[in-house]
Amino acid sequence: MSTAAACAALLQRDVRAVLRSRSQLYSSMLFPLMLLAILGTGVSEGLDPTLVRDGDYASFLVPGTIAMTVLFSSTFSSASYYQDRDCGLLRVLLASPHEPRVILLGKALAGVSIGGVQALAVLTVAAAIPSIDLRWQYGPAGVVAAVGGVLLLALLLNGFAQLVAARIRTMQGFHLVMNLVLFPLLFFSGAFFPLEHLPGWLKALAYANPITYAVDILHLAVYAESSDGYIGLPVDFAVLVSLALVAFLWGFGRRTVYQP
Amino acid sequence: MTARAAPATTELAARVQDLSFSYAVPGGEERLALDGLTLEVPSGAVFGLLGPNGSGKSTLLSLLAGLRQPSAGADRSADPRPEVRVLGQPPSTALRARIGLLFQETSLDPLMTCAETLWLHGRLFGLGGRALHDRIRALLESVGLAERAGSFVSTLSGGMKRRLELARVLLPSPELILLDEPTTGLDPDAEAALWARLLEANRAGATVVLATNKVNEAEKHCDRVAFIHRGRLAAEGAPAELKAGLKRDAVWVEWPDFTPALAEEIGAWEGVGRLTWAHPTLHATVDAASAFVPRLFQAAGDGIRAVRIRESTLEDAYFDIVGASLAEGEPAR
Repeated sequence: MSTAAACAALLQRDVRAVLRSRSQLYSSMLFPLMLLAILGTGVSEGLDPTLVRDGDYASFLVPGTIAMTVLFSSTFSSASYYQDRDCGLLRVLLASPHEPRVILLGKALAGVSIGGVQALAVLTVAAAIPSIDLRWQYGPAGVVAAVGGVLLLALLLNGFAQLVAARIRTMQGFHLVMNLVLFPLLFFSGAFFPLEHLPGWLKALAYANPITYAVDILHLAVYAESSDGYIGLPVDFAVLVSLALVAFLWGFGRRTVYQP
Repeated sequence: MTARAAPATTELAARVQDLSFSYAVPGGEERLALDGLTLEVPSGAVFGLLGPNGSGKSTLLSLLAGLRQPSAGADRSADPRPEVRVLGQPPSTALRARIGLLFQETSLDPLMTCAETLWLHGRLFGLGGRALHDRIRALLESVGLAERAGSFVSTLSGGMKRRLELARVLLPSPELILLDEPTTGLDPDAEAALWARLLEANRAGATVVLATNKVNEAEKHCDRVAFIHRGRLAAEGAPAELKAGLKRDAVWVEWPDFTPALAEEIGAWEGVGRLTWAHPTLHATVDAASAFVPRLFQAAGDGIRAVRIRESTLEDAYFDIVGASLAEGEPAR
């Protein structure tokens, strides 16, 4: 049995399911865009202009909004494990001639693809808003870096979500744990405010946060006009690739708690 | 009812020896589902696993499919060496390509269409292209769902869902078909249609193993059956073999006040075989119901509420051998 064919079939099935679930599809994109419009505009009005470039908080918020889209999408995608388990389909998939990790890999690829496409769609819409000023300092290479950052973040979050899903029996519990862990990580990632002005202890926490490195890539690729005050792409990619690989292999390299 | 002829071949589709399995239960304890079971399923057979709820039938199917691994039995000191061979090999992930498994509970995504359900399964089993689409069309036709190919599963009736699941099982043309309570909840027409497809697959060479507590179904369709009780093999053979030695008539007596002391007295009557009791019903096999029933009324008076008589069946053999109520899963007395 071809592992690639099995993964491709599962990916196709999950993508089709998301495309059919219009409310999930639209809400996971509309929420970040609404946040960008409302929070971005509102905060820009009262912000010290020296804190972000030109006092333009809405543009600063774009990378964080993209990271948040990936986060939402990964959480929703991973919750489909519970839907498949509850309707019994997961039992059938795990009884096919493929190891459980192949089944989970196929579903994770779907999560990464959906999250990646949604995040890049949000970026496209944001870039088209006249008041948003994105500098793209690396030109086309910046687009590649942004796509790479989004996919690595999606990979990392899907791996982490699978780790949680394999240990939490209920979907409610899963969402609770995901929100409890991921929202603070998002807040301390530089998604909503620059890290350079934070107190030392908070900055240390931010540097221990994997999402920080994805947000840094997106800031550098999309928003920033220089790399001053940022971690830098080589370190960002090195950390993110390592962590995504660890989370993915850890999350998918073991038998899950789901028993047919 | 007529049992099917036993298959001529002597090859084995499945063989288990000294097979045990325990489920972990909260509190760190274990519940023994199979306890040193030994069983052989001839190739080409329609083989029934009969037993009350919780007797270990479903567990056995999942072990045959390689979804679980054997564990230690109750008598750990005996150090038995469990052996499971399916289609001549130890169960494995790869071997599942030759096995079709129908779960007891509905296992369908309600938001997929019938055709998509089969397509996904076909891709997982290495099928593809024109051949897969043709096979899907043919199978949907054969289970009477051709018109519903594009319908979402959520719109199907219970019987239609079961037929779709059967089509999914048959899609990769499995050599061994494992079915867990395949006809539960089906009306007689749907049950007959499902069995027609199954027997067709069997005639084409597939071995069918079904776990059921419908004794009539097993007697009608199976050429061999195994009675499993509390994780152990109680008896195994062709239905006719298992019925051999039974008394001619089976009598059910609804008798709420029946007591074990009465059983001793009635059991000593001439022409009375084995008696089993599952409140409020006394079950007896006798030489002649025409002599037994009047005598029973004389002895019981007003205590008897209803009597039912018929020729002995496999169910009687089950009562006789296992001594348990199939309908209620209650222990024998």
